[in-house]
Amino acid sequence: MDILNRVGSKAEAAELYEELRGGIAVSFNGGEIETAGSETVLGRALRVIAGGKLGFASTAGGSDDALVASALGAASHGDPAPFRFAAGDRTPVVPVPVLDPAVEAIGVDQLIAWGEEAVRRINGEFPHLIVNASLGRGTIEVVVRTSTGAERREKRSYLSMSVSAEQIKKGDIWSVYGSQFVRRAADLDRDALLDDVLRQLRWGSAIAAPPTGTPPVLFMPTGVPVLLLPLMTGFSGMSVFLGTSPLKGRLGEAAFDERFSLTDDGVIPFGPRSRTFDDEGVPAGRLPLVERGVIRSFYYDLRAAALAQATSTGNGIKGSPLGGGGFRVPPGPAPRNLVLAPGAGSLDDLIREMKDGLVVAGVLGLGQGNVHSGAFSNNVGVGFAVKGGKVVGRVKNTMIAGNAYNVLKEGIRAIGSTPEWVFGGLHLPPLLVERVSVVAQQP
Amino acid sequence: MEDRLREAVARSHADYTEARWEQVTRSRVAFQRDQLMALESGEEAGGIVRCLVKGAWGTAVFTDPADLPRKVEEATHLARTASAHVKDPVALAPVEPVEARWEGAMKRDFRGVSLDEKRRLAEGYNKFLLGFAPEIASTSVRYTDAWRNVIYANSEGTYIEQGIPDVTLMVAAVARKNGDIQQGFESLGYAAGFEVAQGREEDAAKAARRAVDLLSAKPVQGGTYTVILDPDLAGVFIHEAFGHICEADFLLKNEPMRKVMQLGTPFGVRSLNVVDDGYRPGERGNTPYDDEGVPWTKAYLIKNGVLTGLMHSRVTAHKMKAVPTGNARAVSWEYEPIVRMRNTYIEPGTATLDEMLRGIERGLYACSAFGGQTMFEQFTFSAAYGHEIVNGKIGPMVKDVVLTGNVFQTLQNIEMIGNDFKLEGSAGGCGKGGQWPLPTTTGAPHVRVRNVTVGGR
Repeated sequence: MDILNRVGSKAEAAELYEELRGGIAVSFNGGEIETAGSETVLGRALRVIAGGKLGFASTAGGSDDALVASALGAASHGDPAPFRFAAGDRTPVVPVPVLDPAVEAIGVDQLIAWGEEAVRRINGEFPHLIVNASLGRGTIEVVVRTSTGAERREKRSYLSMSVSAEQIKKGDIWSVYGSQFVRRAADLDRDALLDDVLRQLRWGSAIAAPPTGTPPVLFMPTGVPVLLLPLMTGFSGMSVFLGTSPLKGRLGEAAFDERFSLTDDGVIPFGPRSRTFDDEGVPAGRLPLVERGVIRSFYYDLRAAALAQATSTGNGIKGSPLGGGGFRVPPGPAPRNLVLAPGAGSLDDLIREMKDGLVVAGVLGLGQGNVHSGAFSNNVGVGFAVKGGKVVGRVKNTMIAGNAYNVLKEGIRAIGSTPEWVFGGLHLPPLLVERVSVVAQQP
Repeated sequence: MEDRLREAVARSHADYTEARWEQVTRSRVAFQRDQLMALESGEEAGGIVRCLVKGAWGTAVFTDPADLPRKVEEATHLARTASAHVKDPVALAPVEPVEARWEGAMKRDFRGVSLDEKRRLAEGYNKFLLGFAPEIASTSVRYTDAWRNVIYANSEGTYIEQGIPDVTLMVAAVARKNGDIQQGFESLGYAAGFEVAQGREEDAAKAARRAVDLLSAKPVQGGTYTVILDPDLAGVFIHEAFGHICEADFLLKNEPMRKVMQLGTPFGVRSLNVVDDGYRPGERGNTPYDDEGVPWTKAYLIKNGVLTGLMHSRVTAHKMKAVPTGNARAVSWEYEPIVRMRNTYIEPGTATLDEMLRGIERGLYACSAFGGQTMFEQFTFSAAYGHEIVNGKIGPMVKDVVLTGNVFQTLQNIEMIGNDFKLEGSAGGCGKGGQWPLPTTTGAPHVRVRNVTVGGR
């Protein structure tokens, strides 16, 4: 019997979320294939409103009866549901393209060949580096159905590749990392990925003295999340409602540099986190968060929207902006694809313009610290010193610190013209800023 | 399921086959400010098959138990495909086959505690935090428990069933004043029963007081300091800075680093002893049998300042001619085992905190951990708060304290090791290779280190 029917008269309303993941992956260790794997996972989650109260339960490989009993049991101890599940929407939803059949046709041999090619290219130029890689492809089919008439179903494909190259010498160990996550086979640009890794390896062949004090700092797209992570929390409708966001009560305020525009766009064709509907069955859309420095909106799932007397923006997502989650967690407000509007000037232009400063390609300890306040303090995992407009080598034992809200209001010097997809759903150009303090042990 | 597992591995045509099936019962309660954000209980089950063919692994993850025989074939096929590309084949160090059943002890079995009582416990802490001070703007309280029933069989005749309890509690307060937002939190995690989450009002008070105090704390001034790490943070330090580079899988294809990590090399002061222990009663990192069926050991990583051991899986042990240590752990049925820490700690020394403070003109007392990350010898970890040390005395509170360094230098820079040891299982977990959060426990006494780089403004 259908599970929503099984809940039947025991609850006023029910919502069933199902995801079926299937795919293959290969991993390379030290330049050689080590493991080839597959997965077939069916995960489900059930929310009910019974006696006016909300209950949640999830399962994989479990029975319908147990799932229903757990959700009803939770509801009996729960609080009044502050919201209603998505209703059947008669207005047609425009489907967002997220499935590429060509991805499913990629076999394990193909993934191995791509991995071997990456190893060849990097070791061809840097024979002593240890190259690790992982590649995967598959689909995730999501179904959201409610007893209130919503029925959404979508199959999304993915193809991913990540490569790291490590240099190991006593007292001088460093690692460069690149990755891509795409939905369409043709979007996997293996050359661009490897070019990027190789460029950083060339930049880092020499060790340079880090600039200290408050030099200009150029965040490469892979480094920009240092500044954006606090905003991902700050723009959550739930953080705003709870009062833990410093943006509370500031809609319409010019809180950022006027060149700074940030959009959460869930409907970019084949975008890494694009979707026709969110994990609560609410249609996705395009939501300007910051327009030319002015705070325009926050993002909401059904619950946060009801509490804040707003409307769901289709941002009910199972998992954080940097991934994780899935069927086990209830949905909460999180961005889909975060897009930072590009400015002018290539990466090379920005490096020339900064004259003397620091390039940050990645940090250690991302997100550890007081994210609410915007404070960041990180070890520069992969960074380069710039002198006279040229990269002169990589830096070691270097820390950056500052406040993201402050940097994005007072400290932006230039926004680059060349955005890239990083960390899955972030589309970011390089960003040249001031007001970051740099501390280092001189080599 | 026992018969299915035994039969599936016995029938496999791969060189080696193992299958693991897990049934997890869990519950979770979460409050934020006045909102019940999560209240749930449930069960899930899933499995993974791993086959070795001519030196390459094939794996298959599944949730339908009826799929098991087909998944063994699939993993075998994937391994065979990969093996055609392998020049340096993987092999396993020998271990004795085991037949065992093990269950973690609980004073009060959380599976028998009603969801309502779990809710009332969390709600009590939450109300306490909210009423603590007018500056408290929001709170976060999260209670979780999980009982993992893991059954494991391999083609060498090993069959193990384990019942593993896990309880965590996190209490956090957010204080707000003039646009500034600060957070204080305390967390705990044990392989024990419901009792460990009860009676934690003092932890809630500490979290709330710290959030309020941080509103008037200055950001730490960046620079190089002599630092005293409190036991919480020293435990995270040894996990991040040193533990991860002793995980032998990262040395597997890495000959230069294997030379650096040669047993017998002096790594720190003579009074330094570092242990990774597979079993301490009630601790979260306990791994009686690892996910390759290897029984636990207590492994000295550093003894009297000298590197004496590494953490191994059967693959790394074979490659490095060592004995498997029981460190092959998977975060869940969705993953294959990789080399991970268990209960990792610095053994106590002899110094008192007063002796450590003596002679520090301008230093830093760094306390409690937000977290940490390692990139080989480079490590970083962030303190939840700190205090200046001025002329041998603990001074005003400072915030945004993040420490970084090179592990080899930093271990040499340890000056004193305290006599006040503490083991600490947090509510979070360790992340590696996409597998997070793995329950681990860290421990240490106070530790004094010179010449530590601290980020800041």
